[in-house]
Amino acid sequence: MDHEETREQLELAALEPGGLDRLMAGDTPLAQSVAGHLAGCESCTAELARLRRSSALIRTDLREMLPPDLKARTLATIRAEGVQRPLAAASAGVAVMPLADGAGGAAPTTPATGTSRRRTRAWSTFAMVATIAAAVVLSVVTTSLVVGRRVDDQLAQQSLTVDALEHVTTTTFDVSAQPDAEHVQLAGVSDPTLDGSIVYSPGTTELVVVATGLTEPAPGYEYRCWVEVGGKRERIGRMFFGHELAYWAGAVSAIAGASSPTTFGVSLVDVSATTLDSQPVLVGSD
Amino acid sequence: MTNGRWDPTDDAVVVLEMAAGSEAALETLYDRHATAIFAAVYRLTSDRGTAEEVVQETFLTLWNRAETFDPMTGSLASWLHAIARNRAIDRLRAIGRRPSMVGLGALSAPDEDPNQALERLAARGTVVAGSAPTDDPATATAAAATRDALRNAVAAMPDDERRVILLAYQEDLSQTEIAERLGWPLGTVKTRTRRALLRLRTVLGGEFGPFPDDAVMPVSAGEDR
Repeated sequence: MDHEETREQLELAALEPGGLDRLMAGDTPLAQSVAGHLAGCESCTAELARLRRSSALIRTDLREMLPPDLKARTLATIRAEGVQRPLAAASAGVAVMPLADGAGGAAPTTPATGTSRRRTRAWSTFAMVATIAAAVVLSVVTTSLVVGRRVDDQLAQQSLTVDALEHVTTTTFDVSAQPDAEHVQLAGVSDPTLDGSIVYSPGTTELVVVATGLTEPAPGYEYRCWVEVGGKRERIGRMFFGHELAYWAGAVSAIAGASSPTTFGVSLVDVSATTLDSQPVLVGSD
Repeated sequence: MTNGRWDPTDDAVVVLEMAAGSEAALETLYDRHATAIFAAVYRLTSDRGTAEEVVQETFLTLWNRAETFDPMTGSLASWLHAIARNRAIDRLRAIGRRPSMVGLGALSAPDEDPNQALERLAARGTVVAGSAPTDDPATATAAAATRDALRNAVAAMPDDERRVILLAYQEDLSQTEIAERLGWPLGTVKTRTRRALLRLRTVLGGEFGPFPDDAVMPVSAGEDR
C-alpha cells in the first residue's frame, strides 16, 4: 500500500466516529495493510495524527451548523401557528386572535433618571407601540364578534381606526428615531388609573400622544391635549379614540426648538371653549 | 440607543418593529440569533433534530410574546437563550434523558458574563449539568475564527461535495450509506468526499497541520471507480 492509498483509507475512516480507532485495530486485511505502511512512513503517521485532531473539530463544528432551510421552515411555522400581528393583520384585512400574555396592557415604564435614561427612551417607545398595538387588536377582535346588519358599518369604522392607529405607530417610530426625541410620561391628576405617553421632536415639531384609561366624553365635550412652554399654555389638538386608546399625532409649532422645561397635559373641555385653563386630567413634564 | 440615541439596529428596536407586524424584523432577529441558539441547544441535547425544533419554538415564542421581552432587564440574546434552554430541557425530561455535560457557555447568552450566568442559573435552580470551564478569551476567539472559516468553506463548496461532507459529519452516514441515499456510485461518493476534505484542508491548513507536499486533488476520472 502506497502513500496515496493509505491516506485515502485514513481520510475515509476519519469521517466516521471512531473510524480511525477501528482502522488502527488492524483486525482486517485492509487495516493490516494500512498499519504496515504506517510502521515505516513518518509522513503518513503525521497525517494520521492530524486527522485525529481535525476530524473531531470538524465534526463538532458542522453538527452545530444551522441547517440552511431551517429559516424558511421556521417562518412557515410562525405564519401557520403564530398570532396575527396587528399591522400585518390590518393590512391583510382579517380578524386576529388576541395577543399572548402581557400583550394587552401597557408595558411597564421606569422614571427617566440617571443612567437609566438611555434604556428608558427605548422602553418608552416600546410601551407606546405595545399600547397602540393592543388597541388595534381590540378594535379588530371586537369587530370580528359583531354579527348582523351592523357588520358593514363596524368594518368601515374598524378600518378607519386601524388606519389611524397605524399612522400613530409609524409616527411614533419616526419621531423616536430623531436625535432630539424626548419622551414624557403623563400621569392622572386625580385618577391613578389614567396613564399616557408623549414622544416629540423639537427639531421636526412632530409629536405623538397616547393615553389609556380615558372614556369617550359626553356629547359637547372633548379631551384636548395642550403644551405649556414658558408659562403659556397652547392647544395641541383633540384626542381621538380607538378602543380604549386616546391618541393624537401631528406637528405642533409650539414645541419648535423647545429647550426650557415643558409641561404637557390633557383636559376635558367644552368643545366651544376657547381657553385651556380647566383642571387637567393628565399631566407630565420633561 | 447607542450613545443615548435611538439606534434602529438595536435588538430592542427590531423587536418593536416585529411586534408591530414586520416579518422582515423577525428575519433580522433570526439571522442574528438562530445560529448561536442552535449550537447551544445541540450541545445540550446532542441531537440536531431536537435543536431544529427548539429553534422553531423559540422564534415562535418571540413572535407570539414579544411584548413580554423587557430590554431593561437583559439582552434579547439572554432572553432567547433562556427560552431555548427551557424548551430543550423539557424535551429531554419528556424522553427521560439528562442534558449533556456542557460548559457554562452553552447555558449562557453570548454577551453574558460567565459568573453572572452562573448566578442567574443557580438562582432559578436551573443548573442541570457542569463541566470544566470553557476556553480563555483568546482561545475562544481563535476557535470562533476557525469555526467561521470552516463554515464558510463548506458554504462555498460545490453542492455535490457539500452534500456528501454534511451527510458524513452531521448524520454519521458511511460512504456506502451516502451512496445509497444519493443514488450515486460509491466511487463517486469517495472522490467527492476526498475533494471536499482537501478543500477544507486548504482553508484550515494552518489550524490542522502542514499541507502534505504530495497531496493531490482527486480528479473526475476516478469518480466512478
